[in-house]
Amino acid sequence: MSNSYYEFFCPVKVIAGKAALEHIPYELGGLAAKRPMIVTDKGVRAAGLLDPVIAACEESGLEIVSIYDDVPPDSSTTVVRDIAAIYRKEKCDSIIAIGGGSAIDTGKAVNILVSEGGDDVAKYTGAGVLKRPLKPFLVVPTTAGTGSEVTSIAVITDEKKGVKLPFTSSYLLPNAAVIDPRMTLTLPPHITAATAMDAMTHAVESFTCMAKNPLSDAYAAAAIKKVSHSLLQVMDNPKDSDGRLELAQASTMAGIAFSNSMVGLVHSLGHATGAICHLPHGLCMSLYLPYVLEYNLETIRGPLGELLLYLEGPEIYAATPASRRAEASISALRKLRDALYKRCHLPRTLKETGKVTEEQLDAIAEMALDDGSIMFNPKEVTLKDARAVLQRAWA
Amino acid sequence: MLAKRIQPMASQAKRLYVELMFQVMGRALQAVSEVDGEVQKEAQALPEGFLFEMMVMPEGAKLIVEHIGGGRFHYHGDSAPRAVDVSIQFKHLTHAFLVLSFQEKTSIAFAHDRMLVDGDVSYAVRMTRVLNRLESFILPKIIAKRAVKEYPENLHLPEKLISAAQIYLKVATHFIQTARA
Repeated sequence: MSNSYYEFFCPVKVIAGKAALEHIPYELGGLAAKRPMIVTDKGVRAAGLLDPVIAACEESGLEIVSIYDDVPPDSSTTVVRDIAAIYRKEKCDSIIAIGGGSAIDTGKAVNILVSEGGDDVAKYTGAGVLKRPLKPFLVVPTTAGTGSEVTSIAVITDEKKGVKLPFTSSYLLPNAAVIDPRMTLTLPPHITAATAMDAMTHAVESFTCMAKNPLSDAYAAAAIKKVSHSLLQVMDNPKDSDGRLELAQASTMAGIAFSNSMVGLVHSLGHATGAICHLPHGLCMSLYLPYVLEYNLETIRGPLGELLLYLEGPEIYAATPASRRAEASISALRKLRDALYKRCHLPRTLKETGKVTEEQLDAIAEMALDDGSIMFNPKEVTLKDARAVLQRAWA
Repeated sequence: MLAKRIQPMASQAKRLYVELMFQVMGRALQAVSEVDGEVQKEAQALPEGFLFEMMVMPEGAKLIVEHIGGGRFHYHGDSAPRAVDVSIQFKHLTHAFLVLSFQEKTSIAFAHDRMLVDGDVSYAVRMTRVLNRLESFILPKIIAKRAVKEYPENLHLPEKLISAAQIYLKVATHFIQTARA
């Protein structure tokens, strides 16, 4: 008997497509919530993305009781405490997080405090600390990349200690993720590209790393197909709402995939680079992906070769000898990155970012080695290996 | 009928095996931190007084080691002097047995959700590297390959034999001292 074993869990109701936002009042009603609070950031509000949400609720007689629109890019325990205080003062009974990863993580953390009580969210850090369901919680992503709407983790900075606190619990998952193409229509090209490549990396690592399983594979493969098919179309025609919806769905599917199979060295290097050089996460993912796949190549030749079908389509897959498909998959990803560079200068090397110095590579390698995701990389990584991958990604 | 009688005995045997392996590993962690520079380098990044635990949920066998400074570990047996900093917890005795009998690599066990990490994940990653290094030293290559993700290419037979002999000697001495005490 094989030793294979896996776990797969995703209880989030996905509400996706045209007029999805208009389902919010019904969904909250089903959860007996009547006084929702919106948690978002200034960029989302300035882009006018709250308007359709508020209108959808008002048309159904549901009043948005409070709006907090000052979530910073790196949310903190202080911000979470302040929002929880407003939630209590306004007697809210549910949360709608609207935004990218930071707003969604902040919504998750606020939900811990308002459900469990207290002012110090740091008390709930770690895995499995929460033991019961939290308040009704809906998520409306405004980027198509992080997949945070279907992950059971939140990361919040503890300003006093200067550390990032991870919170992991299935109770952090929202009751519903609302995927509406209107919410990503105005994303600028470079953010569209970086976040879509974030989703692509989630899916590719999910499909090739150690905890891959048949269910996560299905979601990952479908996500890769959608990004490959729609990303350049959307880059050329940003108002293509069908293409936007495809990317948003791909992001959610990749999120479901990687939260059930974990990720590997691309994320280890990306987390370290983000921490040291303050580069956006999606950019780091796009940058490192081909170099890490080349490093892992001999351990992932089979699954990586399979991905050619979803990256390039059946004709090219059929025309490529099985023994060359893994390399062809890497080439397809490089080709996509070149096309993105041509359209929005999304960097392909560390040098192209203009924000990393060669002297920082040692520190990045050392930090990457202690990142949790490295455990799931299919090939063992030593300090020397990590440094060599970084050198290849340099220029 | 026979199977029903054998099952409790098999379970008891697994329990004893896991307890014994934890005792050996705990002492071996202390020993390897006294003889191997690589392990000392890894351990030096841990705070002094850092307590690491491996255990079987819910109240099964456990091993606890402390970083006492300078990259050295001290084995505390199965009781911690205070709350531990990082705990790697097997969800079930069978999962611990699979790993400790080298039927499932530690990395695969993590991927299979057999274990939970409670505490700072970066320290858990570091301790896993230390455990891998230890296993590469003390197990014959053919068995070590079943235990670690990748057997280190640069670990050659003379270094392995000398280090393994030192570690086993220290483990045996520690067992004798414990028995005498």
